[in-house]
Amino acid sequence: MVNIEDLKEEARRVLKEGKVKYIIGYERASDSWKANPVFLRKPEDVDKLVWDPTCFHNLVRFLVDEKRRKAREKPADSRPVGIVVKGCDSRAIVILLQEKFFERADVFVLGVSCESSGVVDERKLAKKTTGKSVRKLDFGDKQNFIVTTDDGTMGIAASEVLADRCLDCIANVPVVSDRLLGGKDKRTVARPFHAVEKMESLSQDERLTFWRDQFKKCVRCYACRSACPMCYCEECVVDTINFAVSADTPAEEKAQRIKWLEKSPVDSENVFYHLVRAIHLAGRCIDCGECERACPVNIPLRMLNKKLEKEAKELFGYDAGFDPDQPALISCFKDGDPEDFIR
Amino acid sequence: MTEEFEPTIVAFLCKWCSSAGSDLAGVSRMEYPPNVTPIQVMCSGSVSPLYVFSAFNRGADGVLVSGCHPGDCHYIKGNYYARRKLALVKKLLEYVGLEPERFQMSWVSAAEGQKYTRVIKDFVNALKPLGPQTKLRRNS
Repeated sequence: MVNIEDLKEEARRVLKEGKVKYIIGYERASDSWKANPVFLRKPEDVDKLVWDPTCFHNLVRFLVDEKRRKAREKPADSRPVGIVVKGCDSRAIVILLQEKFFERADVFVLGVSCESSGVVDERKLAKKTTGKSVRKLDFGDKQNFIVTTDDGTMGIAASEVLADRCLDCIANVPVVSDRLLGGKDKRTVARPFHAVEKMESLSQDERLTFWRDQFKKCVRCYACRSACPMCYCEECVVDTINFAVSADTPAEEKAQRIKWLEKSPVDSENVFYHLVRAIHLAGRCIDCGECERACPVNIPLRMLNKKLEKEAKELFGYDAGFDPDQPALISCFKDGDPEDFIR
Repeated sequence: MTEEFEPTIVAFLCKWCSSAGSDLAGVSRMEYPPNVTPIQVMCSGSVSPLYVFSAFNRGADGVLVSGCHPGDCHYIKGNYYARRKLALVKKLLEYVGLEPERFQMSWVSAAEGQKYTRVIKDFVNALKPLGPQTKLRRNS
């Protein structure tokens, strides 16, 4: 069990010593029972920190923003940034290290282990607590969450309200950390790809209908892109700002520039966007599930990401986000890579 | 009388092998179906998944990526990268419901004009029964 006082103590210590610029953690949202990201700059602020099943955000996304902020800082503050990470989030840090997005010394990682539990899926919990307004959610014992509503407290089986990503999780203990809190027992999952396997067992037409219906819903808000710690390209294929325009750029050149896909949420363009998004995350996605959680129209984006994770594992024996010294999936190869599909 | 469906194939051919191979087929006057729109790229490894999706999006019935045989890449290892990257693309396309026959890869060397014509013939024959590709095609 993670003792929140230990986390606060450690955070207070590093802030007092001035070792870190600030700490990114979770606080109680002022208007709800859920956790919110918080930036702690002063030692006296650390009492705001919380750790409960509503800490679902992947805070690593803020490190991406931090890098941009740092580039503009004058004079630059070279101290590391403290960050509270769960197991899945720590793998995101590994990927960013692997891609040399930042150095290990740029982050101070406070790892918290999810142990045998995980974070809650709001939609699942809402079904369990219809008619009641939730005030608080806590880790109970191993199998249960304790939910406090206006009508009092009750236990709820964790397996019924855990987020899908936590049920499939293979990294409950942070992979990198400067200080690790909570149990270190690794969890094993019998069939991490069961949802993908079920999908693959459908016929081609059924799969097409399924995905067509899903992509139809997309409103192209790009919440999936904004929530993802890996989607950090300066220019994305959906942005039409890809080339600089100067006073000398002739009109015909501007007119001829490549526009890969239309911005309007039309079926064909939505498919295109989601395929590109998925393939860019091949061998990089660490299944933090933030894209799916952020999606306002409930597109099962994890099913796409998981598929590529599965192929990377089966075809190339590649596991993303455990070793910062490993090359990226598609910037390495083996002589024996499968080529049975090539004539 | 209904006309037979003629598929459109977009072929990304690497400059050093497959493109030269297709040239050889041409200058040797070998016959093969005229359904291919060849696009010369510097290396099969430079073919971004985006090119493939884009070709389907703009109405290709089939996409072929062809490069040098393993070990023969002009840039030493570009085709190995292509093999890995495009294996994932193929799996992803199948997963969202596209027919697996629509996306193909081949190794064609500069001396293999004969093989190039065979690859194209087989591809066209595989595409004909499938009919036009509408799954990823732009709606307009």
